[in-house]
Formats: sequence, structure tokens, C-alpha cells
Amino acid sequence: MDELVGLRGIVKRFPGVVANDHVDFTLRRGEVHALLGENGAGKTTLMNILYGLYKPDEGGIYIKGKRVKLKSPRDAIELGIGMVHQNFRLIEGHTVLENIVLGARDLEFVIDSKRRGEEIRRIAENYGWKIDPEMKIWQLSAGEKQQVELLKILYRGADILILDEPTSVLTPQETRELFRALRRMASEGKGIIFITHKLNEVFEVSDRVTVMRKGRVVVTEKTTETTQEQLANYMVGRPVVFRPEIAEAVSGEEVARVIDLEALSDKGIPALRKVNLTIRSGEIVGIAGVSGNGQVELAEVMAGLRKATGGRVIIAGVDVTNKDPRKIIELGVAYIPPESIKWGIIPDMRIVDNLFLKAYRYHPYSNKLILNWRKIFEDSERLVRDFEVITPNIFNKARSLSGGNIQRLILARELSGIIGGGIPKLIVAAYPTKGLDVGATEFVHKTLLKYKKLGSGILFISEDLEEIMMLSDRIAVMLEGRITGILHRGETNIERLGLLMSKAVAEKR
Amino acid sequence: MSRKINTPFGVIRIERRAAYPRHIAVLTTLLAVLLAFLAVAIILVLIGIDFTAAFTLIVESFTKPELMLNSVKQAIPICLSALGLGIAFKMNFWNIGAEGQIYVGMIASTGVVLLHAYYGLFDEHVLLPLMFLTSFALGGLWCLLPAFLKAKMNVNEILTTLMLNYVAILLVDYLIHGPWRDPGGYGFPLSIKFPDYAKLLFLFGDTAYTGLLMAILGAAAAYLIMDHSKLGFEIKVVGQNLNVARYSGIDVSKVIMFGAFIAGGLAGIGGLSIVSGIIGRLRPRASPGYGYTAIIVAALAGLNPWLIVLASIFFGGLLTAGDVLQASMNIPKTVIQMMQAIIFLFILMGEVFKRYRIVFEGKSGGDMP
Repeated sequence: MDELVGLRGIVKRFPGVVANDHVDFTLRRGEVHALLGENGAGKTTLMNILYGLYKPDEGGIYIKGKRVKLKSPRDAIELGIGMVHQNFRLIEGHTVLENIVLGARDLEFVIDSKRRGEEIRRIAENYGWKIDPEMKIWQLSAGEKQQVELLKILYRGADILILDEPTSVLTPQETRELFRALRRMASEGKGIIFITHKLNEVFEVSDRVTVMRKGRVVVTEKTTETTQEQLANYMVGRPVVFRPEIAEAVSGEEVARVIDLEALSDKGIPALRKVNLTIRSGEIVGIAGVSGNGQVELAEVMAGLRKATGGRVIIAGVDVTNKDPRKIIELGVAYIPPESIKWGIIPDMRIVDNLFLKAYRYHPYSNKLILNWRKIFEDSERLVRDFEVITPNIFNKARSLSGGNIQRLILARELSGIIGGGIPKLIVAAYPTKGLDVGATEFVHKTLLKYKKLGSGILFISEDLEEIMMLSDRIAVMLEGRITGILHRGETNIERLGLLMSKAVAEKR
Repeated sequence: MSRKINTPFGVIRIERRAAYPRHIAVLTTLLAVLLAFLAVAIILVLIGIDFTAAFTLIVESFTKPELMLNSVKQAIPICLSALGLGIAFKMNFWNIGAEGQIYVGMIASTGVVLLHAYYGLFDEHVLLPLMFLTSFALGGLWCLLPAFLKAKMNVNEILTTLMLNYVAILLVDYLIHGPWRDPGGYGFPLSIKFPDYAKLLFLFGDTAYTGLLMAILGAAAAYLIMDHSKLGFEIKVVGQNLNVARYSGIDVSKVIMFGAFIAGGLAGIGGLSIVSGIIGRLRPRASPGYGYTAIIVAALAGLNPWLIVLASIFFGGLLTAGDVLQASMNIPKTVIQMMQAIIFLFILMGEVFKRYRIVFEGKSGGDMP
């Protein structure tokens, strides 16, 4: 079989870690090869080496049978390698066409947009994409932006494609569209490397799968010859519980209710349009939907971080509409913010400081004026242990923690009961597992289920439908600031949810 | 994060440091000071001044006892203001207005003295405590105004604090040319001399010792506030990230206003230390820019209160050296201002080395065998 890429014995060391430890990897013509592993397993490093961003310390790179040295991405591009990064590298104010031809070698002085637009359209149609080359990037949805990124590569005639977690920004429908296009590319003889940490995607799209853990390749197998459970074991290095035990929802008392809630987005346009929802203690209410349909705004209004322009928020029987966050915290609301690195922690402060970002002002951690550091240190040690935050010591900067450990830190701060004692009445969790590896995701799930059992009411926002369906007792689907439907456990399936979610996506176009 | 620069000599890579170790911070600061001296030496040579003699005089400002005492005296207003700035800067509140806060501090303490002298108000024993209180309060208020505007209307504090400096300086000019002029002073724009019990002489009868005590107490207070009080914790959180501060339930406006008040208050006491310590009366332009020097000092000390005390004494010494240079070698005092500015520039450049590591990869570095 025709080998497009051969990486042999690649070693890459960074100060203190071996990111790639004698890694072997091959990509054949006409295959989609999934590269699976937890965060920090060395997938991205390996791909950056293949794309010329890093030089390996040892080992050889073979492209189409020839040994090569890649000094920079330019060399890689010349050899027909293209990479779609997780965060798009497009110029928002420029058109699709301008973005695509930007890297073209043979660019004429005045861009022949007619001819080039035609070429782009032809490539797009081949993969079933309806993209107008004259549209500005900011007018496009995330899925379309990704298509532009792919077009950029395809336009250059690349036949080795690297996609770094491409589905993290897509709806289920868009994901399916992408997979179809990838299969088509493979059938045309291109080779595709698909970086992911989602197991189900491996089975949906790939021919072979390579699992990495701690910088090493654990296994490379044909996808048809393995199972999800097996791959998960390879990834984590131990058996993973796939279906956590779910306690029946005991419909307890109502802990939160929002009535006809309205709010504006950061851009000043309506983000919530008369949202109604109740959450009871001992229940997980999932909010499904493509991100940007008002989920974050809902969470923020409930946490007191965004002004409601209409309607009411009632928590534990108290009207807290537009009350300050402190009052809401003191009513027993825990908030796990989206993009926790940006909103949930202060990277340049110590782990202890971050653990006590809210609790510092309450007894016994301080009196009227002075902080009781001794008590804070003592309890920090305990929290770090209880919530399995892995760190050499609590005085390190929070910046030194991995994504999973940052989320554990936030869970410890919000849920452990250091704020006013007792378990939180309401937990608002906005995308708590986004970007986390399997182990950390599992921990978040376990923790939420534990607090559900203890009697917290939980609002659980996620884009991952499987996760939502697994955990939620009820699922509300949000779309353009409205709740389009609430489904109970048992009456949900992906198709039905997808339909409720994507109606708006179809209308938007 | 790393950035590569291709040069004819090979690749230079600039990498962000995961943490900035203390010894690097200290080293770069010392190096900055050393380089500044070197740069000044070069300039002195270029304008034809015997720089060894000049540098001998500078060194003497730190070693000769009577000059040393003068250095410490000059360091007091710098130190108190810089301690306040340390708090404000930690809060990300860029107070450029210590100079103005010093001036209103002088107004407050002089006002109290004049009320006592002209109208016989207040007992001798409460005079000094009252002066401390009022200069702290007025300095604080002078800083509270910009803080209020920032907290409530997001007005840029750099501009407002800076502009308030001129207001304060001109206010002193008006008072001293007008109502506060010493009636028996032959028309000179000076206030009456302060009586001894309104001066900072309560330790060994000398302003330098009294001032040193004040500086150390001030540093202790700043340390306690920042490292052990709730307010200090809140100030650090607000300074790091406003959104996270709001998220954690901190009343951001309140913290900014409290922090700014304390910062301004400390500078106000710095003003007091000038009129009732260094000069013994109020006169126009009584501060030769202590409030601006304090900005440099706070930066040089990395906002650490104890290091601020040391750095202020260093800068007090430089100011003394400036006077000595002018008196004995006829070198303009401005050489010292230039030196201050150059030190500041080098410190700013040093910041790059604290945050980033620079790696020379050479031409073939990292290549495959």
C-alpha cells in the first residue's frame, strides 16, 4: 500500500518532559487515520513536527517515501501537507476567496477573482459544500469557517491533511457533513490524519486508529478490529466506566425558577427571549444546543453576572433578578463558568488563592479584616486531596495546572462546601467538560452525579449530546434564545434533539 | 508560547518563562542599575566631566553620615508615596498622581498648623496626630476622585490622576502667594515656620530617624494589608482580572475606591513629611517630583513594600548626590534626573528578561543527525 507519511522513532523533548518518545506513525494513501489520546498525550506535538513547526530531537520524517527535513511549515506545505488548527486562522474582515488565495504561490497582481472563485466553487461542490467565495468570513458559521480552512488547503493541492479536533465547534449535523467530505477526500487518494479524543468519532470516520499515551504510541489498529472500551483502556491506561450509575431523580423541592427571562448578549442583541425553566433539587436539567444560542447568557444571568432586561430569576424562593453575584453565591449557588481558564481562575495567583476565591470572606477563613491563612492552607490541602487535583504543592501558580486539574480546582472551590458550609443548592455548570480528556470528563460527571444524589439541583449546559443524554433527567433545547422543547429522560434520542437544535441552523442560512 | 527570530548568526528563540524565579528578578534589577550608571558615565565623559570624581561624590552620599541622614530624609516622601503606589498598581490602578496627593497632604498639614498658630485651635499635643489624619484624608480623597470616576464611569485614571497633579500644585501656589503667606516674611511666598511640636522630631530629635520609623511602619502596614487582609486579597484579584473578581462576588468599585484612598493617603503623609520634616514650612514647589520618583521606586522594588524602603533610600541618596554635585562640582542637578530616568528605562527593558527566556539555537541547533 502507498505510504504518504512515515514518522520513524520520533523523539521530542521539552524542558522536563518527553513529549514524543520514539513515536512511529504511518499514513497511507486513501485512509482516514484517527490519532487518539488524552490532552497532553503528545498528539499535537507530533503533528506540529510533521507540519514543520518543531524539529524532532531524534528520528526521521518520510514523505511519500523520501526522507525530508522540515525547517518550517512552508517546507511542509510544499510537500503537500496541510493542517487545520483547532482555532481558525482566518481573517474575519476578508472574503472567503481572499483568505483562500492568500497563500497561493502564483498570485497575480490583481486577483482574478472570477477564475479563482470558479475554481474554489468547483472544489467546494465536489465535497457538497455550498460556499459563496464572496462572503466575508465573519458572516459564516463555525462549520463553514472550517470548510474555508479545508478549502485553503485543498486549493493548494495538498494530499496530506491534518485536522486538530475538528468537531469541537460543530453541530451533530455539521459533524456528519464533515465526515462525509473526509470520506470523499480519502476515496480520492488523499490521506487524512484526524486528531481527536472522542471515541465515537473514531468509529464513525476512521480506517485506522493510533492511540497515544504519555508521549508514546500504545497501539495502531484497524478501526474495525477494536472496540470503544478497548481504545478507552489504551488511552487512559485503566478500565473506564462508560455508563455511570444514575440515581433516579427524586423530584424534590424547587431550587430555581426563571420566568420569562430576557437578556442581551455582549453585542447588545437579544440573547434570551422569554425563557422559562425550573430546576428541582436532586435533578439534572441539561441544556442542549449549538453554542451561542443563549446558553451562556442564561447561566450568567442566573449567576448575577449579566443583567436581565426582563423576567425574573428566583433561587431558593428568593427573587434574585439583577442582584449582585455575592448575594446569589450566599444563597448557595455554585457556578462553573465556561472557558474556565479565562473566567474561572486567575492563572497568576496561587492554587490556594484560587481555591478560596469565594470562600476567603467567610468564617472561619477570615474575620472582619484579617485572613486566617493557616486555616486556608489546611483546608486547601484537604480540598486538593478530595478533588484529586494533581499538583506538587498548593503554592504553585494555577497556571501550572493542566486543563483537567483546573476544572477539578474549580469544582473544589464551588462544591466542597467551604462557602458558607453545606452543599450548594443550585449548581450552574456551563460546558464543564469542554476540552477535557477522558479521565477529567469522567471525574466531572461523577462529581455532578454525586451532588445530584446529595440533593443539589443542577443546570448542565453542554454541546455534547451523548453526555447530556447520559446525565440529564430533563433536557431543554435552546435555540436563538428560546427553549424549543423540554424532553424527559427516556423520550430523547440524538435525532430528535438534533432536529430541535438545527431547525434554527437551517433557518439562519 | 515562543517566537523565533532568524538572524544571520542563527535562530534566536524567545520563550515565555513558566515562572519568573526570584534570583532572575533581582539580577535583572541590579543589572539595570549598573547599566544605568554606565550609561551616565559615558554621558558625563562626553560632556567633559571627570566622572570618577562625580561618582566618588555619589558614593559618599551613601557613606558619609551627615549626607546619609539627608538621603534618608529625602527618601521619606518617596517611600510613603511608593508604598501607596505599590497598592494601587497591584490593583491595576495606574495612579500617576502621587505628586498631587503629596501636595494636598502638604496643604492639609499646613492648614492645621495655621489654624493652630492664627486662631489658637487644637492643643499642642494633638497637633501632630491631627496633621497625620488630615493629610492622609485629603491625600486619600485626592486619589478617590479618579477612582470613583474609574469605578463608576470607566474614566481612564492615568489621565485624571496626572491632571489633578497640576491642580494641586497650583492650589499650593495660590495659597502661598495669597492667604497663607507669612505676614512677617517680607513678602516672600512662604508660610510661617512650623513650631517644633509640629515637626517630625519625636525620634532622637531628628527628622531622618523619625522618618525612617515612619517608612518602616508604613511598609509594615502595606505588607499587612496586601498579604494578610481581606482587602489586600480583593485588591490582588481585582488587579489580576476584573471579570473573575466580579464572578467571585467581589464589589469591584468598592475595592478600587478603598485601595485608591489608602494609596492617596500614604502619599498625603508623604506630603506631611516634607513640610513638617524636610522644610519645616510650606513653600511653592516644595516637592521636586518625589511623587514621580515614587513611580520609579515602586517599579524598581517590584511593588514589594520592604524593597520599596530600600529603593527609596537609594533614590534619596541619588537626590542628595545631585545637590552635592551641583554645589561642589557645578554639575547641573538634572544629571541626577537623567540618571533616574535611565535607570527606569533599563528596568522596563529588564521586564522582558523576567518574563521571557531568550535561547540562542545556533545555525544547526536541533537538526536531525
